[in-house]
Parts: sequence; structure tokens; C-alpha cells
Amino acid sequence: MAEHGSNCEETLAEVQRFLDGELDRSLQVSIEQHLSGCAPCMQRTEFRRHLKIMISAKCAGDAVPDALHTKVMDLIRGLDEPAG
Amino acid sequence: MVRATTDDDALRERFERDVLPLLPNLYGAAMRMTRNPTDAEDLVQETYLRAYRGFAGFKEGTNLKAWLYRILTNSFINTYRKKQREPQIVEGPEDINEWYLYDKLGGRSVEVSAENEVLDRIPDTDVKAALESLSENFRIPVLLADVEGFSYKEIAEIMETPIGTVMSRLHRGRKALEKALWETARERGLVDG
Repeated sequence: MAEHGSNCEETLAEVQRFLDGELDRSLQVSIEQHLSGCAPCMQRTEFRRHLKIMISAKCAGDAVPDALHTKVMDLIRGLDEPAG
Repeated sequence: MVRATTDDDALRERFERDVLPLLPNLYGAAMRMTRNPTDAEDLVQETYLRAYRGFAGFKEGTNLKAWLYRILTNSFINTYRKKQREPQIVEGPEDINEWYLYDKLGGRSVEVSAENEVLDRIPDTDVKAALESLSENFRIPVLLADVEGFSYKEIAEIMETPIGTVMSRLHRGRKALEKALWETARERGLVDG
């Protein structure tokens, strides 16, 4: 029943799509309800959430070489007419 | 023609205003794709050139970031993949369980956040290297989903691949990344075993 939320099996099967924001509203809510009452599922979910955030934070932030910024500007300004 | 010049100026201004600020994102993605700064710079320049040439046809108000990443991904696949001659591994890891890293790191622990702390201690360069160790078919969807935050539908459009294929590659790519992260954590002495 929706008011009791999903069970553990359903929750763990959908946890990645849940974190990716890819579930429809009713399933999203159903999983949230389960998680609020199930510590083991919550711990796994929080691990996956943390992993996703860690990957995002650590794989971004490469410093753009100054020369590249200049080259890109030159490229744009050197082109008189962008073809439609 | 005066009118045409004005239109071109407006287009250039809009391009500089909307597209140039995405340079750090595009460069970072290009680094993960090509795995070296020289090719990444070339790829970004090619992407900007193609984007600028096609910008008049881009409908303002639609998904600019996805449009640019589609050009980036296409350019990478068409140019740098051939150049790099990377052997294309189509099959992914099949034997990695659903909770591989969780079980390895913290499944046994009573300390709730122990596994999260191990993740935090893996250096940035190692996480980048782990992602870059994946074959391209898996690396690109993981990059687009987890680093760039695109939806499955957007990734399908960027990669010109059915959404089911995206989901399957993303799933297998993430498992392969978990395995690579575990090996890194072990080599770094962050975990026992």
C-alpha cells in the first residue's frame, strides 16, 4: 500500500534512480516513506548519495588554461559570420 | 549589409554571454574524455568552433548545455576516438554485485559514516583516474550523469543512444567505477585488505 511506502527490496532496486531524480512522483514518495522508517535502507541510500556527490565534486574543477580562454575568444571574434 | 552586421553582433554577444561561461564545464568534460590536456584543449576549441557556426540555428530557451555537450561528445567520438585508437570494450563488468563498494567499505562497520569517510579521503586525482580508467562507452554516461548532472533523457539525446542503452551503460559504468575506487582505496592504504 502506498501509505506504508515501498518495501526494502523495491527501495534498494530503485535507489539509484531515486537519487538520480528519475522516478515518478508516487514512487519517489513511496520510497521516501520507506526510508524514513528503515535505517538499513537509509544507510545504503546515504552511501550512494555521498558517492554521487563525491564523484561530482572530485571529477570537476579542472583549471582552464589561460591560453585556452584567449584562443576560444579569438576563434569567435575571428569568425565574421556564423553560418545559420 | 548593416542589418546583417547588427544581427551577427547580436548573435556573437549572445554566444559570449551564454556559451563562454560554460568553458570550465566543457574543459573538465573534455579532460575526462580525452585524458590529456593537449587533446582536451583541441576538443574544446573544435566544440566552440562548431557551436558558433551552428549557433544561429540554436533555438533560444531550449537546453543550451545539452546542445553543447552533444557537440562536444560528437566531436570527441568522431575525432579523438580515432586518433587515440583506444580499444573499444563493449562488454562491461557483469560480475560486480549491486552493493560492491558499500559491502567492501562499510557493510560490516557499526560506525554509520565510516564508508563515507573513506570516500572523502580518496584524492581528487585518483577519483579522476578511476573514472578515466573506464572504457568510453561507460565513462561518458557516468560523466554526464554524475559529474554534469544530466538526466537520462538528456544523456540519450547527447549520445544519440536509446534511453534503455544509457541506463544499462550507466549502471554498468557505475559498478566498474566502484571497483576502480575500491582498488584505489586499497592501493592508497585507506582500507585494510
